[in-house]
Amino acid sequence: MSRMITRRGFALGGTGLAAASGLGLAAPALAQSEPIRIGWLAALTGPSSAPAIGFNRGVVWAAEAINGAGGIGGRKVEIVTRDTQGDPTKAVNATQEMISQLKVHAIWGPTNSGESLATTAIMARGKMPNIHPCVVNSLIDPKKYPNAFRIAPSNTQWDDAVRNYATKVAKAKKVAVIGDTTGYGVTAANDSAAGFQKDGAEVVYKANIDATQPDMTPDMLRARNAGAEAIIIWSVSTGMIARLLNTRAKMGWDVPFIGHPSLSSGEIGQLIDKPENWKKVYAIGYRSCSYGADGKLPPRSEELVQKLQGKVALQDTLFWWIACAIDAVNLVADAVKATGSTSNEAIIKHWNGLQAWPGYYGDYSYTAEQHNGYPGQDVVMSDASSGRNGTFALAPGYG
Amino acid sequence: MLASILASGLAVGAIYALIGITYNTMFATSRVMSFTAGQLGMLGGVLGSLFALRLGLPILLALPLTLAACALVGVVTEYVAVRPVLKSLDQHLYVLSTLALALMIQQVTALTWSTEPQPFPRLLGIGEGIWDEKYWLPVLACAATIIGLEYLYRRTLVGRAFLAVAEDNFAARALGLPERNLRIASYALAGAIGALAGFAGGQLLLAFFANGPLLNFYGFVPVALGGLGNNRGAVIGGLLLGLFQQAANFLVGGIFSSVAVFALFIIVLLAVPQGMFGAPAARRV
Repeated sequence: MSRMITRRGFALGGTGLAAASGLGLAAPALAQSEPIRIGWLAALTGPSSAPAIGFNRGVVWAAEAINGAGGIGGRKVEIVTRDTQGDPTKAVNATQEMISQLKVHAIWGPTNSGESLATTAIMARGKMPNIHPCVVNSLIDPKKYPNAFRIAPSNTQWDDAVRNYATKVAKAKKVAVIGDTTGYGVTAANDSAAGFQKDGAEVVYKANIDATQPDMTPDMLRARNAGAEAIIIWSVSTGMIARLLNTRAKMGWDVPFIGHPSLSSGEIGQLIDKPENWKKVYAIGYRSCSYGADGKLPPRSEELVQKLQGKVALQDTLFWWIACAIDAVNLVADAVKATGSTSNEAIIKHWNGLQAWPGYYGDYSYTAEQHNGYPGQDVVMSDASSGRNGTFALAPGYG
Repeated sequence: MLASILASGLAVGAIYALIGITYNTMFATSRVMSFTAGQLGMLGGVLGSLFALRLGLPILLALPLTLAACALVGVVTEYVAVRPVLKSLDQHLYVLSTLALALMIQQVTALTWSTEPQPFPRLLGIGEGIWDEKYWLPVLACAATIIGLEYLYRRTLVGRAFLAVAEDNFAARALGLPERNLRIASYALAGAIGALAGFAGGQLLLAFFANGPLLNFYGFVPVALGGLGNNRGAVIGGLLLGLFQQAANFLVGGIFSSVAVFALFIIVLLAVPQGMFGAPAARRV
């Protein structure tokens, strides 16, 4: 059966074509005015929600600051938040929703490695520009995940900072490495011990302790008897850390504790028997968030503190969480501003060319081959008990 | 080193023993091993810290409030997780129902209290070093509980009624004993005993939501070692477990000490399946 083009059919087709081309012409104009949508995968409730609550303050402030100044080329920044509750399954669902339904232009987060391990491959498949602060080394691989960029130090950078401080500043030749029995604690303690041995230090004692173990005397006695000159801690368990510190005090042993940022957690202050039990404890910190002997932060951080005053609470969180989140939002906004585009390719290409991009938390550099953008030299040790508005005093030994 | 092993070993052993008694008290009147026992111990620490430290109540008020709150949790356990499955005890549905309730208690505590360990106050401020109250208070609480239970079971009518229901609940009911009410009372009593374990051991274990599974686990060992339903066996089993665990901690280290504890547990059960102090179950034919 043959089909004939009738006059009416031709007229209808022509009208449709005209309408379609009209819509097509309008599309770029719409893209130029639509908001810049940033997906924010945040564990705002549930266990381990403290970091995301801090990060969220930075996210909200940064978006308001950009929009208050007129947006990026007239385009507002819209933060699309999904509470993952720290659950990798919920993080995966939220990621898929953000990519396929919400059509975000970039994703910030998740902010813990467990969730990120589950979402990274999905974002890579969707070619979604992604910035996260998770420390697990394997999360960054520009070949497998060309879309994923780390804005905080990797575990290796933490490890390097701890090892350098223990061997070069504390001058410890023999160390005890202690982790908890979680997957992170075991891996981190093993990596750390291997690093010390590679650098010629002697790991005289290595242990993984159950965080609920009520008495830490056996492990501390073994470490002392083995001749440890520094105790290296890889654990997020504040209860375990406080028990170790109380045991150190009872033993009358003044060995320094060096390690994980949790050593400086405010919870420890409530769990130790006496405030002096928290002395000679050095936790991983960041130069931008550490104050010197004059009590002042670096100039850019001081400037941020002034801007945040009265608008963002700092006393019950960590300053780096807020600064890092502000930088994450600004990195996306900067990419759109520089390229004039919200396409995945444009944002990723822009980030790959950043050299010492000046953020509040650090100066980030990325290339197509290196997506660990945080400067290793800015990972420093802090005096763990010196917390003040989420910042810490530089540990002794830094110029 | 020996003094340290004895002090901390007896202290944690006494806590395990009290959780064992909590299991036994619930089991006696219902034939149900309720896995909320460890959570009651955890709640004893958390509520003790809440009343005494956060709300600043005097210890003499915080202790009875903690015991009463946990007794209430015990009663809720009976209503929610035990009573509905009593008719099909042979299907062991109670494992699921009591575990589910235990998980709910733990998650609610994590969300409303904290996921980090919180401090527990010093109760009496007596002792230092190995004589610190945190080591002897759990032992004292365990001794007081045993004496109290002995008095209850041997000298009071209610106690004898408990024993009658534990011995044969059908016969007890035929004699006119209020079996259901006695069961509720025994769950309240178990709640208070579990709370006492957590309260007395609060300085050692801290007020931490994750103590629940730990106590569930290590509190079950003395029950199995001492013989199901045997409180004296649970106390001896608990103290031995604590001492062995601490000795293993000193000698072989944290992770391996757990392996050592459970290796010994399996060996004992292979040698005496009914527990060290339990009698082989007689079956009427």
